[in-house]
Amino acid sequence: MKRSDRITVVVILTAMALVAVSWIVMHRTRGTVAVVQVDGQVIATVDLMSREPQTLHITGVLGPLVIAADGKGSIRVTESTCTDHICVHTVPARSPGDQIICVPNRMVITIEGTGTGIDVLAQ
Amino acid sequence: MRKAIAPIVALIVVGAGLATFFALRASPEPVTSTYFLMDTVLTVTTTGGDAATINEHLHALASGVDSMTSYYKSESETVRVNTAAGRGPVSVSPEYAALLKAAVAVETIDHGKTFDIAISPISSLWGFSTKDFRVPAAKEISDTLAYSHSDQLTISDTTVQIRDSRARIDLGGVAKGYSLDVMEEYLHTVKPQPRQVIVDFGGNLLLYSGGKKRDWKIGIRDPRGQGIIGYVRSGDAFVATSGDYERYFERDGTRYCHIIDPSTGYPGTLNQSVTVITDIEPMHGAIGDALGKVFFCSTAETQRSLFPAAQNQGAVGIVIVDAAGTRSTLGPITFVPTTAQ
Repeated sequence: MKRSDRITVVVILTAMALVAVSWIVMHRTRGTVAVVQVDGQVIATVDLMSREPQTLHITGVLGPLVIAADGKGSIRVTESTCTDHICVHTVPARSPGDQIICVPNRMVITIEGTGTGIDVLAQ
Repeated sequence: MRKAIAPIVALIVVGAGLATFFALRASPEPVTSTYFLMDTVLTVTTTGGDAATINEHLHALASGVDSMTSYYKSESETVRVNTAAGRGPVSVSPEYAALLKAAVAVETIDHGKTFDIAISPISSLWGFSTKDFRVPAAKEISDTLAYSHSDQLTISDTTVQIRDSRARIDLGGVAKGYSLDVMEEYLHTVKPQPRQVIVDFGGNLLLYSGGKKRDWKIGIRDPRGQGIIGYVRSGDAFVATSGDYERYFERDGTRYCHIIDPSTGYPGTLNQSVTVITDIEPMHGAIGDALGKVFFCSTAETQRSLFPAAQNQGAVGIVIVDAAGTRSTLGPITFVPTTAQ
């Protein structure tokens, strides 16, 4: 093999590696996370892949809320200062697109992640 | 000759690699904005174009519809019309009159038995306007039902009149869908066009692709559990979902949802969720929103008989989960159930 051939092979392999790395970077799955927003601002993200149960004490527009991740992939609102408690009664969220909303507190929990294969959720 | 080719090949490959890398990097990130209005959440996700500005403008348009239609805001056209109930015609904007006419046109497909914008005195009895929930006595309901019907209304191009002084209208059943109509109209005029925009306004979706038209996979939420029960495919569309799981209260083990069946005065119990897909035409956002209530308050038999009329108004397809959890569809759409349940 001539020197120039070797260079060509190296360059081709490098280019292929570059394409592969950029592809992986762009398409990697981030796992499933719960994004907690108050009044349109993200105030916390919770990794739902974590096996550790977590409790979050946050402040909504109206007052405090308590959010619990069970360490098995689900998250729910356990306490809220709102009067209707729609948020507390909402089915725990776990799949990408799931939402828990507390309108009086202007709080939204949205599950983000890949792998559902859908573009939008009708709910 | 080979010597000459080798560096050229190498150059092409490196060039292609770099081009791919930068093309992937340059693909615009979606910008998501969340707003609170009409007692629900408005989420806008725009990819491409001047995304942040588009999101802000869409919010402003929804706020405008809220100011026009709100049941509570003292300066709204709805409050002006309601306040004048029993006292003669009130002048309204052409947009407001057109929205009212579209809503009433949907009512007529079932003679107001399944959707009625004048049902609000009944909703108030149940406490849905104040969130002070209670189960009214049967007599209260039948007495109130006597005047809670849009045959109390006279609508012209510029005026609205409510004849009975106790009757009230509430456009909550069409205002979110109508907001999507206003947004869609604006999105067509935006330059440069965004690649795609997804608007989710309290259960009403607008799916818009700016350049190349795309196919959307729309997940249907499990009305009783987590995640989705399956999906349907559609091009750009309005997608309105009426479910009994969003706003409800429970008394003695019974769930009372916020969608009142106008034929009984009681919350609808025939279905768990109804998703109506309408194509992109003027007023089809509002119409889809209203059709969601029509089909939510209908039996399977009525749903089948009403569907041709719904198609005439713009419905493309409907996905239904009835009270027993049985799924069905109407129209030329294919529901693909989730296999891993």
